[in-house]
Amino acid sequence: MMGMGRIIRSGERVALSHYHLDAEQWSAMLSAPGATLPLISCWADDARAYVLLLEGDRPLLTSTAVEERRYLAPSSRFAGAEWGERVAYDLYGVEAMDAHGNGASALDEGGWTSTWPLSSRPGPAAGGLRPLAGSHLLRPEQTGLSGPLELSFEVRKGKVRSVEVCAGGAHRGVVSRLLGRTPEEAMPLVSRMTAGGFVAHPLAFARAVAQARGLVPGPGIRDVWMVLLEIERMSLHLFDMARTARGVDAELLATHCDHAREAIARACAEQGVSRRLMDMVTCDGFRDGLEIVPLAQAVHAVMQPRLAALEELHRVFASRLDGFAVLDVRLAERFAVGGVSGRASGRSMDMRRREAGMRLEALRATGSSQGDARAREGLRLAEIRDSLKLLERILGSIGLEDDEPAPDRTDEGIGVAEGARGDVWYWVRLKDGRIESLHVRDPGVSLLPVLGAMLRGYPISRVPAALGSIGISPAGIAL
Amino acid sequence: MKAVQRTGPLSLLYAFMDATRGRASVNGEIPRRERPIGLYILETGGCEGCFMEVESLNGSAFALEQAGFVCVSDPADADWLLLTGAVTRVCAEMLDRVWRAMPPGRSLIAVGACAVDGGPFPAGYATLGGLQALTPVRRAIPGCPPAPQEILHALEELARV
Repeated sequence: MMGMGRIIRSGERVALSHYHLDAEQWSAMLSAPGATLPLISCWADDARAYVLLLEGDRPLLTSTAVEERRYLAPSSRFAGAEWGERVAYDLYGVEAMDAHGNGASALDEGGWTSTWPLSSRPGPAAGGLRPLAGSHLLRPEQTGLSGPLELSFEVRKGKVRSVEVCAGGAHRGVVSRLLGRTPEEAMPLVSRMTAGGFVAHPLAFARAVAQARGLVPGPGIRDVWMVLLEIERMSLHLFDMARTARGVDAELLATHCDHAREAIARACAEQGVSRRLMDMVTCDGFRDGLEIVPLAQAVHAVMQPRLAALEELHRVFASRLDGFAVLDVRLAERFAVGGVSGRASGRSMDMRRREAGMRLEALRATGSSQGDARAREGLRLAEIRDSLKLLERILGSIGLEDDEPAPDRTDEGIGVAEGARGDVWYWVRLKDGRIESLHVRDPGVSLLPVLGAMLRGYPISRVPAALGSIGISPAGIAL
Repeated sequence: MKAVQRTGPLSLLYAFMDATRGRASVNGEIPRRERPIGLYILETGGCEGCFMEVESLNGSAFALEQAGFVCVSDPADADWLLLTGAVTRVCAEMLDRVWRAMPPGRSLIAVGACAVDGGPFPAGYATLGGLQALTPVRRAIPGCPPAPQEILHALEELARV
């Protein structure tokens, strides 16, 4: 009996990590004996259904043909695939057979100009908005998040029992806007995918495009990308820490986070780059004129002296976060929850560790694996300290050569960047130099299936504070 | 920033002092109004960059209240609606609901490129392409995203009109 990985590799290899399976192989893969590989993402279009898995720390992509608008549901094996199946139905009208879950809309709440808008055969508009099911609602403007995300709850004795999410309010049709463009034409839009990843999203995209073109960025480019990503990590961690602190009335800690984040933004602006590092990453490197050494030095200089006060204040207020919004490690493993949320629960996955040229000695952050808001907040602080160390190491050996081999050009690539809120994944397929197909996986998607368990037992009034502590971006989820 | 490196029993005191010291002050004269202008912030489907900058403005690093503004959590308490994002078709209903909940004398201000005309997210199957699809945009703060200080300056200018 073959395991899942071997079944996938028995298919036709069409790219570095992508195997086509026929219907029989696909079915065998979904019922393979032994361990289930962690699912990173699931998606489908008119032609094919895909699952992106993680084998060790390496991506493994497999796909099968969609026939008569149907395919055997990956969620029959991978519980986390349900969101992708629902999105695929909303956008393409392709149906997952034997799907796990209730099949409710993920994005299409009504109100669009057509149903299945990305399908080759879109349907007529559905009319007005459809109300969400559930006895209680948290309207998009009430979640405390940065974007519109509608949550509906089943509530018993005033406490949350289950949660349904609809992200239609934040859906901007990004994928449809990117298809047919060259990667260079697409980059400005990719750079505006979500403010939760002004660096991480374009970086993952640039890595996917480089792999598709059979290129490996040189060590100088690679180090610039690492520096930008670490600056963004510190800034976003401070944002999420401030929001979490305010959720438990720890205003003094929030104040210091605000000041530190603003100091980083000003240091960036003084070095001639945008405050939040937007439009810094390009497909083949970074923006012309970017002076990475003074930028890294300036950010380090403003952030390092603030760390002691942040750690002291965290110690003072941390007990307010004890046991709040716990993510169990088994759920984190099952749904491949990454980033701070995953690591704070004990799932030790950090995609930076597999990057060529990474100064691994700087990545030392460990801490509580209780999975609660306190563990997440403590880990964010530890990761800021690591980011500063990483900047020091990179500045000490910037552009250090190594011999990473270039892949063959297949016009198809997978890219990942370990952003502040988790692992951002892009898959891209090019045709005649233009984007023929594309998939984006923001880390927020992996949090959706675990939200119910994290929020269970709390009154709805506590939900915004819980959402703030896990750092979730509706714009990244909905695209 | 040397003071914040000190730890021990006085660290909290130092933290209080530094929190006050680090705050940006308002340029020019502090406006005299009977009450602050209430701001309600609504994100309607963008990258969230503008919303996060307004949230930063409402944080402790800027003197928003000193400048005569206060962010409110209920539209019924708001004078101005600060709208960010490209206005998705789903969010149009939310925008209408919030706008109707505001008291008479309300004003609508588009913050950032998306809120005016959709910016990188013009009209499509899921988006209306900014406020201009719904109403003439008379009050706007440009930028992608505008910095908190720029938003504050623009709000002060609008308050003088």
